[in-house]
Amino acid sequence: MSSSIGEKCTKIKQEYDGCFNNWYSEKFLKGDATPQCDDLFFKYKECLMQTLEEKKLDTLIADARKDNPFPNASSSSSSSKSESSSKKE
Amino acid sequence: MVKFYQHTSSFEHAWDNVTYAFWLRYPNPFASHVLGCDVLDRSVDPATGVLRTTRLILKKGVLPRWGRNLIKNVDTYIIEESVVDPRTHTMVTRTKNLNHVRVMQVEETQTFTVHPENSKWTQVKTEARIISELRWGLTGRVESFGINKFMDNSAKARKGMAHILERLRQNAAMAA
Repeated sequence: MSSSIGEKCTKIKQEYDGCFNNWYSEKFLKGDATPQCDDLFFKYKECLMQTLEEKKLDTLIADARKDNPFPNASSSSSSSKSESSSKKE
Repeated sequence: MVKFYQHTSSFEHAWDNVTYAFWLRYPNPFASHVLGCDVLDRSVDPATGVLRTTRLILKKGVLPRWGRNLIKNVDTYIIEESVVDPRTHTMVTRTKNLNHVRVMQVEETQTFTVHPENSKWTQVKTEARIISELRWGLTGRVESFGINKFMDNSAKARKGMAHILERLRQNAAMAA
């Protein structure tokens, strides 16, 4: 499993990856999309968002994500909490 | 200036395994330039069952000597957006670099579908756009470098995926 861009997040990231990989192959591909790794993802993302702010990547990412690459797929991403907190302009 | 690139290839592995290998593909011996890879967002659309993921990938950059004056820190951040539709067996991934975009922007789309001639194989269509906005005569050079580098990297990426797929196959054989 690959490292996180934030060194301190690698451990929790790999834990999450392990959970996701298992879910993807054993559940999702077999037709069961019930979420399984949300708690781990939440912890991981908390760490990651700190790193992105430290590295001043948060605005760069927010800008890049403004244009939706999949306009036909309805976007259901509701996890923009951490991004909006860093928008000061 | 813009350059386009298109390529279709296939893996002699089932679509399920190829899309699984996509998540596992770092690290692999052909991707030593990948320093880190993170998941920024991930959700399943309850209406369509489509898994949507946004990842951030950090790659160690390699530049020819003439390029080192253009960019001091050559590490590149790449954003990867993907959708996986398990019902239609389609995975689409889109990547683009976040920094150094004035020198060169590479946008790549890959579409993974069941191979039309063999349902146990997977077809991969790769399309890319390489754009440079440099004005002072370097544009052509940058883009030629970009397209060559891109083709090198595509070949390496395919080898990396093949490596992971072979490992999955061996694991499955051992478990059987």
